Amino acid sequence: MREEVRQIQRTLEEQTYIADAAIATALYLSMTLGKPLLIEGPAGVGKTEIAKALSSALGTKLIRLQCYEGLDATTALYEWNYPKQLLHLKLEESSPTPEAEKEATIFSEAFLLKRPLLQAITEHENSPVLLIDEIDRSDEEFEAFLLEVLSDFQVTIPEIGTIKATHRPHVVLTSNRSRDLSDALRRRCLYHWIDYPSLEKELEIVRAKVPGIGDMLSQRLTQIMQATRTMSLSKIPGVAETLDWANALVALKATELNEEIIAETIGCFLKDENDIASFKGTRINAD
Amino acid sequence: MTDLDIERLVAFCRSLREHGLSVTPGEVVTAAAAAALQIIDTKDRAEVFLSLRNILTTSVDDFPVFENLFAAYWDQRPARIVEHQKQPTAPARATGGLAFFLEHWPAEIRSKAQPVNVPGASDTEARAEKDFAAFSDEELEEISRIARRMARRLAKSRSRRWRPVARGRRVNLRRSLRLSLKTGGELIELSYRERRPKRTKLFVICDVSGSMDIYSRLLLQFIYGLQNSFAKVESFVFATSLARITGELKGKTYQRALDRLSVNVRGWSGGTRIGASIASFNQQWLRRIDRRTVVIVLSDGWDTGEPEQLAAALSQLQQRAGRVIWLNPLLGGTGYQPLTRGMQAALPYINVFAPVHDLNSFRALEPHLEL
Repeated sequence: MREEVRQIQRTLEEQTYIADAAIATALYLSMTLGKPLLIEGPAGVGKTEIAKALSSALGTKLIRLQCYEGLDATTALYEWNYPKQLLHLKLEESSPTPEAEKEATIFSEAFLLKRPLLQAITEHENSPVLLIDEIDRSDEEFEAFLLEVLSDFQVTIPEIGTIKATHRPHVVLTSNRSRDLSDALRRRCLYHWIDYPSLEKELEIVRAKVPGIGDMLSQRLTQIMQATRTMSLSKIPGVAETLDWANALVALKATELNEEIIAETIGCFLKDENDIASFKGTRINAD
Repeated sequence: MTDLDIERLVAFCRSLREHGLSVTPGEVVTAAAAAALQIIDTKDRAEVFLSLRNILTTSVDDFPVFENLFAAYWDQRPARIVEHQKQPTAPARATGGLAFFLEHWPAEIRSKAQPVNVPGASDTEARAEKDFAAFSDEELEEISRIARRMARRLAKSRSRRWRPVARGRRVNLRRSLRLSLKTGGELIELSYRERRPKRTKLFVICDVSGSMDIYSRLLLQFIYGLQNSFAKVESFVFATSLARITGELKGKTYQRALDRLSVNVRGWSGGTRIGASIASFNQQWLRRIDRRTVVIVLSDGWDTGEPEQLAAALSQLQQRAGRVIWLNPLLGGTGYQPLTRGMQAALPYINVFAPVHDLNSFRALEPHLEL
């Protein structure tokens, strides 16, 4: 493994993010080649966490754009601050300033509300991490619009002109595969897939993130989680759920897992009535 | 390949492409540049593997092919690749007469509603639950009414996106401010905005094979109702091959639509090839399917084709569509289990699996159609 990749791995580990060689390589390539990184995987395996860990490792700002259906340019890129514009016009009503100048004033940067994408482009100190979260939730129109921004990191605002990024942001996109992304967007990005972690990796994650947990307890808990994922459930718990559960157990000062304590805390990792029923019906053998 | 040179890399990419991955020239250039610039250590197998996978694949579905081919190239081992599944070609249209059910559809017979013993027929008295097989003309009309009501609801539903309008209830500040500049910053004329109508499209694919005969006419009635009150419906029928009937169904009366159908659509027969029919649907129509499309398949799931083909075709369809609804008339019967091989293969790729055997089941459909 090359030194740079190992360096990334170490730095992420300092942020308590357990990174394997695959994810470290993906981040290294994304940063050196200047290409956005598309991360796919089931819910709760730490896709979003990567961007957070990366930004704190690099000591830069994390700018997050949460996608949803109907997300459009005015919420993702920029919007004019209308109340402020109106107020300004009212105050200037009786002033002899010529109209053209008034217009130029209210459509200047001072009246611009920067939304995440524009923020990422106009970050002047260093390259921020731009996290475009759950891109599969947005619609096709937004995807097309995003392609435009991601291809040359510049934005044209009719009233101001073209703004070009001085520091190209590190872009991380995440998707739960709830729908197919366009080929054009996939091509533009490097691709990485995160699956549920192995027992060893999950154990490492639990011990790093929940330091108060004992060796025995963390071992047992991780075994149960791994076994749970092999059941046919409607909502398979991710690492996020494992950590929730571990935290709950620590808060309850549990030292071992028995049926009683599992029943009390089952809501931490199973969020569906039927799943809970079928979990209770199965004797999990984690030895 | 114990070292990665450009020539080998290009050959590797070509072979990926031959095995169904879409590797673009741009991606090849990126990979080559990364190797040339020593961004990738071309002697380190693990590093080359991970990096090329990042660059050359675009989905986790590509991984198995990539891993096999990579091993073949790097270790110079023969590849263990299963032949990439070719798109099944649409079967030649069967010749030999019109569909059984069309021939048996003259108006005289339709008015004499005859109860037929159907698998899954419920014998309850309630009219709404009465099975299809025993429907009268008024009840057929009711199906049309339900279809029209659904279509109206669909046409009226609103998306989350906005569009400017002349009169509305919400002010469009951006435009209003622009307008106000004409009057020196005084807001005299207001501009408005409203939610854009949702652009839901509907694709209905109806099984008209022998086993569906008794249901087909009601389902067609339903499709006819949808087709004639909602612009964005495309309808298809299949038995052993697929036929588009959107044009045939448009018209003033149902009877006339049926007459046109019997003249224009040929090749309906007893057998069912659901997989092949959906695959040929995909070939022609998949590019029209997007997230705003609801695909409805009306079939009992008796397939004489290969279940793998059905699963592959449906999964392809489901990946593109907003929702795939499978309506199975047999599901209404008590004790029916979707155990046919075709149905079993299809289940993982269906978003909504619902019965359609009486008026109530039609009504229950309504919420599923809205995306």
